[in-house]
Amino acid sequence: MSIYSDAKYTDVPLEKKQELFDEVKADMRYDHQLYGCYECGICVAACPSARFYDFSPRVFAQVMAREDVDTFYELLNDSVWDCSQCFSCTRCPRQNNPGGIITIMREVAVNHGMQSAKDALKAYSRIIYKIMSTGTQVAPDMLQPDFFPDWGPDVKQVSDNLDVWRRCVPPETMHTTELAWDVSEKTRLELYMIWKLTGNLEMIEKIDEGIFMILEEVMEELLEENGYDIDDYENLLEEEEDE
Amino acid sequence: MLKKNVLVIGGGPAGLEAARGVADLGYPVKIIEKADRLGGMPILADYAALTPNMVNAEEAMGEMIQRIENDELIDICTSTEVIGVSGSSPEINVNLKGPEGEEHIQPGSVIVATGFKHFDPGKETQMYGYYEFDDVITLVDTEKMLKAGKFVRPSTGEPPKQVCFIQCVGSRDRQIGNAWCSKVCCGIASKEAIEIRHLLPDCKVFVFYIDMRMYGFWEDEIYWKAQEKYKVNFIRGIVTEVTKRGDQVVVKGEDTTMGRPMEVPMDVVILSVGMEPSEGTSRMAELFQLPLESHGYIESIGGALNTVVTSVPGIFVAGAAGGPADLEDSVSMGGAAALKAASYLRKTGLLAA
Repeated sequence: MSIYSDAKYTDVPLEKKQELFDEVKADMRYDHQLYGCYECGICVAACPSARFYDFSPRVFAQVMAREDVDTFYELLNDSVWDCSQCFSCTRCPRQNNPGGIITIMREVAVNHGMQSAKDALKAYSRIIYKIMSTGTQVAPDMLQPDFFPDWGPDVKQVSDNLDVWRRCVPPETMHTTELAWDVSEKTRLELYMIWKLTGNLEMIEKIDEGIFMILEEVMEELLEENGYDIDDYENLLEEEEDE
Repeated sequence: MLKKNVLVIGGGPAGLEAARGVADLGYPVKIIEKADRLGGMPILADYAALTPNMVNAEEAMGEMIQRIENDELIDICTSTEVIGVSGSSPEINVNLKGPEGEEHIQPGSVIVATGFKHFDPGKETQMYGYYEFDDVITLVDTEKMLKAGKFVRPSTGEPPKQVCFIQCVGSRDRQIGNAWCSKVCCGIASKEAIEIRHLLPDCKVFVFYIDMRMYGFWEDEIYWKAQEKYKVNFIRGIVTEVTKRGDQVVVKGEDTTMGRPMEVPMDVVILSVGMEPSEGTSRMAELFQLPLESHGYIESIGGALNTVVTSVPGIFVAGAAGGPADLEDSVSMGGAAALKAASYLRKTGLLAA
């Protein structure tokens, strides 16, 4: 039972909260990111997110150090996505790393397909798709007047002749409009293997099945063309080791 | 032949160190103790392990006692009290009352090491229910249990699942007239919290505090250890009241760093009671006409650079008789007082050839 009389999520069974908490604690990074907390607030003072949101890296450190499982669950739902992961908080005198704890908590939230994680990441599905399928993020053709009206009339001029403007950039690899730069097939192949082998693709499946299916199709095609079986991990690994 | 010695009043850590120091310097010393044995509070109140190093209290005090026994310069008188004082240095007349009746002595110098008493948490108000609820106990009661190698709920005899300490009970409180910090309670509570977690790994332990005052090496050796290794929950916010709910006691307070109200059921509540001048200290101040400082302890007039000198020539104070003191303070003051008392004898030429 929470120590707070204004506790939230009292309907969620303690066992569930404990399971999630234990998963965070079991992460190999955890022990090096959290010691005790003085609750001194140096991390909050350094935190850019804390200036704009009702967010406090201190609360993460103190709640985790106290092993307050109920309040941990509140944080996992309500504030874990408010951190900008800049790690300014690592100036902690106890050598805590609240940002690092948050990284682990986010992974646990995603792996459990928590609704709050889905909601928080919804707006990023286009970026996730772009990065994971092409290896680049913002593409030149995103620069359209409709998207960025606040950028003024010059945007229209650039977007109308995007191809010409891009060809003015010296490196040939940047003569692209749909991608930020040319990504070679070999690079994409390696990226797909990394997404797959590190479990990133599985994490995407937990939070956005639509994007996952599209991504898997794109990846499968390229991998198969090159003689890899996407569902055969050992085959992917062995090929890597042979090289 | 007039043979003057040093009289040490009180057989606790400060007095034992003072007596040993005087004898080591080659001067005769008489140490008197009101109780029937030496050792002072750590022994009389059944402390389990000493703060901060967690050594066995009985063994550690036993070593101190052993060092003054069998020394021909040291005369040990237990069950002995000062019942009257007259005159002043170099003619201080002290009347003692011991198991063999009354005795009149003329010490050349006196070291008052009469210590403190634990604050009685039911004295002024009963908001924490010390005399009302069996499961509300003090640091001292906890020491007794830990010394016996167990920690249970007094009401049931069963091991508790959730325990808290409430800090600053009887200290730093203008309402009850004790404006001082008792210095040791933060360390002792953290030490006991470690001991409880060690005995009962499934028991959650909270410490509700105003400030954690963990000086010097107490910081990482007890405080960090309690937090990091033993996962003791230190929460800034003092409990306002303890009430009964079912077979538990409920503490109500604010978690001030979180800005959230708390209401937590506990199996045992431990009150971190502070120090007050002991009856012996007040009595000696009266008999030797030693002025008290504003908090009621024996005043030392030397400030920070001379912690043991009183305004009465030849009379020195050591340990918690002069104000809240931890063991390190007490023993250091005992040694300093021994040196000052021996110097006093030498300078006043009172030592017999």
